[in-house]
Amino acid sequence: MNREFLERKDFWSGVMLIVVGGGALFIARNYQFGTSLRMGPGYFPVMLSAALVLFGVYFVLQGLRAGAEKLEGSWSLRALIVVPLSLVVFGLLIDRAGFIPAMLGLIIISAMASKDFRLVEVLLFSVFLTAMCVVVFIWALGLPYELIAGIW
Amino acid sequence: MPAIRALPLATLLLAASLTPAAAQQYPAKPIRLIIPSAPGGSNDVVGRPIATFLGERLGRQIIVDNRAGAGTMIGTELASKAPNDGYTLLVVSIAFAVNPWLYDLRGRYDPIKSFTPVAMLAAGPNVLAVNPSLPVNNVKELIALAKEKPGKIGWASAGVGSFQHLGGSLFELQAGVKFLGVRFKGGGPAMIDVVAGHNQVAFSSLVQTTGQIQSGKLKALGVGSKKRVPILPDVPTIDEAGVPGYEASNWWGIVAPAGVPQAAVDRIRKELAVVLTAQPVIDQFANEGAEVVQMSQGEFADFIAAELKKWQQVVKDSGMKAE
Amino acid sequence: MDLFNNLIFGFGVALSLQNLFYCFVGVLVGTLIGVLPGIGPLGTIAILLPITYSVSPVAAMIMLAGIYYGAQYGGSTTAILVNLPGETSSVVTCIDGYQMAQQGRAGPALAIAAIGSFFAGTVGTLLIALFGPPLADVALKFGAPEYFSLMLMGLVAAAVLAQGDMVKSIAMVVLGLLLGIIGTDVNSGVQRFSFGIFELTDGIGFIVVAVGVFAVGEIVNNLGERQERRVLSAKVSNLFPTWQDLKASAGPIVRGTGLGCFFGVLPGTGPAIASFSSYMLEKKLAKDPDRFGKGAIEGVAGPEAANNADAQCKFIPMLTLGLPASGVMALMLGALTIQGIQPGPQVMTQRPELFWGLIASMWIGNAMLVVLNLPLIGLWVRLLQVPYRLLFPAIMAFSAIGIFSVNNSAFEIHLTALFGVLGFMWMRLGFPLAPMLLGFVLGPMMEEYLRRAMLMSGGDPSVFVTRPISLAFIIATVLILVVMVAPSVRKRREAFTD
Repeated sequence: MNREFLERKDFWSGVMLIVVGGGALFIARNYQFGTSLRMGPGYFPVMLSAALVLFGVYFVLQGLRAGAEKLEGSWSLRALIVVPLSLVVFGLLIDRAGFIPAMLGLIIISAMASKDFRLVEVLLFSVFLTAMCVVVFIWALGLPYELIAGIW
Repeated sequence: MPAIRALPLATLLLAASLTPAAAQQYPAKPIRLIIPSAPGGSNDVVGRPIATFLGERLGRQIIVDNRAGAGTMIGTELASKAPNDGYTLLVVSIAFAVNPWLYDLRGRYDPIKSFTPVAMLAAGPNVLAVNPSLPVNNVKELIALAKEKPGKIGWASAGVGSFQHLGGSLFELQAGVKFLGVRFKGGGPAMIDVVAGHNQVAFSSLVQTTGQIQSGKLKALGVGSKKRVPILPDVPTIDEAGVPGYEASNWWGIVAPAGVPQAAVDRIRKELAVVLTAQPVIDQFANEGAEVVQMSQGEFADFIAAELKKWQQVVKDSGMKAE
Repeated sequence: MDLFNNLIFGFGVALSLQNLFYCFVGVLVGTLIGVLPGIGPLGTIAILLPITYSVSPVAAMIMLAGIYYGAQYGGSTTAILVNLPGETSSVVTCIDGYQMAQQGRAGPALAIAAIGSFFAGTVGTLLIALFGPPLADVALKFGAPEYFSLMLMGLVAAAVLAQGDMVKSIAMVVLGLLLGIIGTDVNSGVQRFSFGIFELTDGIGFIVVAVGVFAVGEIVNNLGERQERRVLSAKVSNLFPTWQDLKASAGPIVRGTGLGCFFGVLPGTGPAIASFSSYMLEKKLAKDPDRFGKGAIEGVAGPEAANNADAQCKFIPMLTLGLPASGVMALMLGALTIQGIQPGPQVMTQRPELFWGLIASMWIGNAMLVVLNLPLIGLWVRLLQVPYRLLFPAIMAFSAIGIFSVNNSAFEIHLTALFGVLGFMWMRLGFPLAPMLLGFVLGPMMEEYLRRAMLMSGGDPSVFVTRPISLAFIIATVLILVVMVAPSVRKRREAFTD
């Protein structure tokens, strides 16, 4: 069996749309549909998710055609994981540990996503940037965040 | 972990109970006032001046913490889980008495058990206003017309459970009529639709309607308070105009997580009594159509309980709860 | 004609030392919060509202208005420099503005945005002065059917005009529409796609989606490239637009201003619709539409003008009728109430110094913004010389603070991370992101207007063609379809006959 389609953009586009549309359709089945004249809360979601599934099928078929465009170009798994992760860390720290730890965590972790990561430089930069943000956001703009939870 | 945490807390409590002076020193650090709406929302408009002026009186900063979302429930849940040391306060409004009946709050908070009422701040009646093209001149004529054309007169309001929606639903129930309920994302767009004549009836706040009423773009039929309001002296209350017992006002108050030290409550109440007579506070409340209302702590607790009961019934009878 | 006298009177009010000062403070604060994502005019005005208590009503309104339109100005800066939309309305500017910056043309992009905004602001101000009250009356004729037909037209135009992979664009619009539905249904109060999560009951914030897919997604994408960021400011050719640039931008700025004024007058159209429309129009009119999305200056000039004209004209219903079209306008009315002035149609006649003073100050404020922004361009462009390995963590930091400051919600930060992943994935699969955001903005409104129109007509769909304004939009929609689709069909036929 030829598995070349697994490398094609359109195939995966279709899969993505079918998954999203199908999932939404599954959830929306519980919403009252109504009629075209008296639309219930389910009318729009069902119509839209069904359309997404149809689009998905179209793209999967396109992707199965020989000669469809392939996924190309380089990408970094490290960046894909580390960059969103740094935001998650910020979200977890800001309420629990305070503004300064959250900022340092965000800046240092996100910087690690780069292949060009230089530890000392990033540490210095994170301190500088955090200090600047404290001045601008906390002192000047008066955002109501604790700098370090429980202490400041 | 909880044990380690509890230890200093316990010593602190012990110390506090042994030395009444310590309690008198409240507040010893900045106080957090959780406002469960976004900046500019109704709770914010009322809560923000309180934070400024009460903070001045207490000699400690009061930090406003806006936690908007889910019709005030996100901020309210957060406050219910905050330490009950008197350093976290919450601004509540009519939504506090309505949400428990519209949403499933199990495991989140209980409006009575999770909170200690601290003080009432203000109330603002709603106004029943109609587009002048609607051929009615008073509440009785509106009721007659609505009975003639059930479900046909367009009533514009903000979303389910909003202050405007509640005022209208209560009217429908007590007057025994049915409008064509048209919902909007907010009170502003709903008013625009009534002024423009796409819909005919609105129940809205004084601040949103007064200018339009005075310029003749809207006709006021009644106000939802017990007494007439000074700014619209010719407009009767809905109660006297044909729906006896009707009262629907938005209100605002302060509560604290349950079990807050009474000394803290007393101190806040003492200063608030002064703050609520300050002209800047009164003027800024007017921004939300709110007038200062002072109550004793007990009265405020009874008031919340009564509001909860009242809206439970309305939510049930009007069938507004979404399935 | 008293217009002239009125304007003189207005400038007399606005040019007082005190009012000039508050105007300057307003536009300065506005520019700052505009540059930062998240923190918008709504939150800022709410926080500053108590301060206005101590100044005169005119000065208060002048300052608050300055914050509002200043923010629209500032929003484009980060959009152009680092693909980070500072305000909702600057999403469109990301598309070509950021590409221009990558080609070393950040300077011209920023300058043309400022010039376009100034022109649009001037026209918008004049429009309010000349036709404010009659325009407000026309706007009130727009009910649910009219708004629905108008948005239908916009959506059809968007789909038809989409270049590149048209099917992918349409699929993204649909996806955006679906994402926009998340949250509480206005009509029934039912929760849709909220998974029992409280934070989702109000829907997903636009800024969360925009920053996620644009800024975060772009960073992940950049980091994957073999040569991790050829220095952004590669070869900064020139700081200011060339004569060529100005000539190319003149038309888009004029048309964008027109579109912006049109949408601005209508209170029921949200932000970003004006700039989206302008972008689509310019792309359609361009001789070589392929340049769009690759750094076409018309794609910055038009939308920026549209955006500022829209912001300016949104004052019309508020000033002339005392009706708030948006949260910001409601707060400005609130500022009047605090001052003891009852907002409403009577303000214009009873307090002329307020109306005309504010209008004059808007023009002065717009001029100040240009003077403020043009010299800053050099500074901004130099910032881009920071090595990318340090620049992107800084972008992440500003994004995070900005988003968190809106609702103090950690949940929204996590959601941004999720949209960053999705944005990267969509980019890799070749899905255009802007149509998704257009769908996201339009979706909830279209559903709301359609269902409201049907509800109010008692389920009779003929409302859309029996009401003249609505009918006009429906006819225009059909025309767009015919005009746009016919040539491609003909082309295909010709291809067959060959």
